[in-house]
Amino acid sequence: MAPLAVRHLFGCRPFLVLVFALFAAVPFVANPYVLFVANLMLIYVILATGLNILVGYAGQFALANAAMFGIGAYGTGLLQVKLGLPYIVAAPGGVLLATLVGTIITLPALRLSGVYLALSSLSFAMFTQWVLLHWNSVTFGGGGFPVPNIDLRPLLPVGPDRTIYYLSWIVTIALLVLAWSLLRSRVGRAFVAVRDGEIAAQALGIHLLRWKALAFALSGFYAGVAGALYAPLLGYISPEGFDLFQMIVQKSMIVVGGMGSLLGSVIGAIVITGVLEILREFKSTQEIVFGGVLIAFVIFRPRGIAAWLQSLPGWAEPLSAFDRDRHPVSGEPPALPILKESQT
Amino acid sequence: MKIWRKAWGVVTLLCAGVSCLPMQARAQSAPGVTKEQITIGSFGSLTGPTYLYGKLTMNGVDAVFAKVNAAGGIFGRKLVLVREDDRCDPATAIAAVKKLVFVDNVFAIIGGGCSNAALAARPEIIKDEIPTNIFASVADEITSPVSKYIYTTMTTASIESRAQVDYAIAQGAKKIAVVAQHDAWGQSRYKPLMEAFKAHNVTPVLDLEMTVDDNDATVQALKIAQAKADAVVMVLYAKPGAVLVRSLNKLGQNPMLIGETGIADPVAFTKQVDIPGATDKFVTPSAVRYTPSSPEVAAWTASIKKMFPNDDLSVFNLMGIGAGQVLVAALQKAGPDLTREKFLDAMAHIDVTTDTYASPIVCNDPVSHQCNQHVAWMRAAGDHAEMLAAKTQ
Amino acid sequence: MMMFGYLVMTGITTGALYALVALGITVVYKATKAVNFAHGDLFMLSGFVAYTFHVMWGVEYVVALLLAVAVAFVIGAVSERIVFRPVVNHGMVSVLLATVGLSFVLKGIARGLWGGKGDFIPFPPLVDGAPVMIAGIPVTPQQLAVLAGAVAIMVGFGLFVRFTRFGRIMQATADNTKAARLIGIRIERVYMYTFAVGTALAGAAAVLMAPITLLYPDIGFVLFIKAFAAAVLGGLTSIPGAVVGGFAIGLIEALAGGYIDTNLQDVSAYIVIMLVLAFLPNGLLGGPVARRV
Repeated sequence: MAPLAVRHLFGCRPFLVLVFALFAAVPFVANPYVLFVANLMLIYVILATGLNILVGYAGQFALANAAMFGIGAYGTGLLQVKLGLPYIVAAPGGVLLATLVGTIITLPALRLSGVYLALSSLSFAMFTQWVLLHWNSVTFGGGGFPVPNIDLRPLLPVGPDRTIYYLSWIVTIALLVLAWSLLRSRVGRAFVAVRDGEIAAQALGIHLLRWKALAFALSGFYAGVAGALYAPLLGYISPEGFDLFQMIVQKSMIVVGGMGSLLGSVIGAIVITGVLEILREFKSTQEIVFGGVLIAFVIFRPRGIAAWLQSLPGWAEPLSAFDRDRHPVSGEPPALPILKESQT
Repeated sequence: MKIWRKAWGVVTLLCAGVSCLPMQARAQSAPGVTKEQITIGSFGSLTGPTYLYGKLTMNGVDAVFAKVNAAGGIFGRKLVLVREDDRCDPATAIAAVKKLVFVDNVFAIIGGGCSNAALAARPEIIKDEIPTNIFASVADEITSPVSKYIYTTMTTASIESRAQVDYAIAQGAKKIAVVAQHDAWGQSRYKPLMEAFKAHNVTPVLDLEMTVDDNDATVQALKIAQAKADAVVMVLYAKPGAVLVRSLNKLGQNPMLIGETGIADPVAFTKQVDIPGATDKFVTPSAVRYTPSSPEVAAWTASIKKMFPNDDLSVFNLMGIGAGQVLVAALQKAGPDLTREKFLDAMAHIDVTTDTYASPIVCNDPVSHQCNQHVAWMRAAGDHAEMLAAKTQ
Repeated sequence: MMMFGYLVMTGITTGALYALVALGITVVYKATKAVNFAHGDLFMLSGFVAYTFHVMWGVEYVVALLLAVAVAFVIGAVSERIVFRPVVNHGMVSVLLATVGLSFVLKGIARGLWGGKGDFIPFPPLVDGAPVMIAGIPVTPQQLAVLAGAVAIMVGFGLFVRFTRFGRIMQATADNTKAARLIGIRIERVYMYTFAVGTALAGAAAVLMAPITLLYPDIGFVLFIKAFAAAVLGGLTSIPGAVVGGFAIGLIEALAGGYIDTNLQDVSAYIVIMLVLAFLPNGLLGGPVARRV
């Protein structure tokens, strides 16, 4: 065991503080390309956190997160363009829309699990794409539409080029703190109870539907916020950004980072966004390499980077899926929460 | 020991995070230009379903560069093409352009495969003041309103749509049906097509949709049969186009079939449909005046085959060849002391006939940077293609 | 009425395509309880392999078909060993990512090898000729071949499971993995062969279907999603269910496209699936699953 001081220096929280301090410094040292990628990383941290709450903590294997992300972005952009609302009003509107839709689609999803939930949410994602492409009078159809730049000068005096970056930075930290405290409260414990055994959870007096709905709403909220930041970052919204590839990218973040771990969401989002940029060097063969990277990660680090870090002193995360590593109940290797449907 | 190994892992991770930070652009008088070479950037799809519009067009540009370099380059400078993938995704396209500008440090850009990706990248290109020539995206909004920095040598969607409607009406079609993809690709053509109809005061008798992955178009063919349409405008990729033509043939329908600039090789399309007679009434507008089977482009066919042995020459290559030649002409015109200002000035006065484009590329109109104003009408005649009158407007 | 006949026929012939792909998904799921998201891309690759043998190298049609099926079997076995086996017990998300990773790899390979040969590649039909009339509705011979193929593969596979030793082992493993292990069945090997058989099915389907679907590197994933939906509608573990599910989706698409709007053709299947799953959480033919505590 390392001395106490060292443990405090190298813990999980100091690490996160360091990471976000580095992010704060990026605009001063980096060129616009790196700044853009760093901004994408922040937005993906939000997405991965929300998705991890749903999939990693509450154990709901849904595939509609990219659609929620799109609804948040479209909502924000359309409220600005169609109704002429300022960003500070439009963004919460987009978030609210994504949260509402995220909650409403749970109604049928609440009875579903496993493959059935996957297919139902996948169908919803395809349906959302279809709406974005076909509802021309509202969404501008497949051609997309430009979104105005944002300027929050009196509130966020950092210059027009950096506004969206620092806004993302602040929001990401706020949402991480929110997730951290939620997951340490009874909300987190209820999610984990639902994940680890619905029947046992019910026996404990946990209202399944209510907690599942909350998990879906939370992930919808996080995806919506990410969308509201994505719209002004790109300045152009079109349906391609919210397709199946987007869904795969987000899923790969929580698996590579670590399911059921907040730290994992942060690391996964940063690593996968970085990997996608680094793989540019492979030009036409990058999809082969990306596929290979995914396979290699799932095979060699099946429980993500966070699981590997959390065995370090000071890195433990409450309620994370790896908790039982340190308190093994049986001799069997700890299983990941989202098991294939129990067959035996 | 175990802890040290893990701590080391953390350090490595951090270093990896930090090391991607400082990649400052090198200071230079004309970025991307040295005594020996000129670096040109390109963005477009290299991967994903839309790779034809990016990768294959870039292959055409590369063939032009190889030919120029073999002949000694431009004022002694070799041309180098740096490709960045945009996967047809707006965010990836913006990142691609930023990387080309700030990391790859290119002199100019030739690219743009997907309209939405190019539209998303447009503000970045203008902000960074990078001379750009669009080689495959068709949306008019990429070049309109006019920006000093952006030109297109592809026939834009409105030019193509007007040509399609004009042609159908000139050929005496009374009942015109539209079958379109309503995805991002189709939508960039669909809207101007509807405007072109409106300009003629004609309403299409049918406005149908197909998706890229449809394997049967009996439903669409039935509706075309019921409406007794005598011409069908196909805003479709070659693949769903072939499916539609097969279904029409199955139902004994034989209307005039009007393609789009993405299926601009009627010979290949006839082979792909593979039903004798089904494509007899297929004509298509094309940004280029040849197809890969034309003897006039035999030299290009050979050089593409040599550079990319797995590939057959395609219309997308021909589009890239035309775009590459325009770029080369402008570089030549800009003179040995190359700067972006001089290059833009050269682009603004370009008037050049390329080996492939349907008509001369003329960029000297200050209110329009859409330099390729005319499509060629192509039709299969046996195993070669013939160009009908190139006049359209 | 004529319109209805046409639409039903279209639905059935398109549904046969989905059914053929759904069969392989079901076979793998039945044994391993995991969905192979790369199934569509294995299908695509097999199609290109058959194309290479038959069109590029001029191998006889039947020989090319057999070779493609054999190559698919090997690719399936290798994929199982490298990609599927290490993750099959790590949960759905891991299986999703590993098989989607495989899907990217296969697509990339296909794009590199055959992607420059044109927008898509036409594949010569097994049976040529003019459309035949069935009750006054024209159907191409190849569509009939696919239909027959779907039925033949379904029946053949049913017989294989029932009457061959390996088929019974597969069934036993699917029914009760622990019991199968207890009586000495090597589960890993069963998984591998099942996966290989599933891929071989995709290979056979690809040769049958390629003349209709045409070949291009991105054909796999969309077909997979439709077929996955078909398999789930059919209850995921039932071979006849997968076929029925495939026909159901084909019919829904044709009828929605014909009677409502061609806009809805593609999305109608997804809307119906959302509705079906909202009321029947285990699919049409899945039946109630007992909850075990």
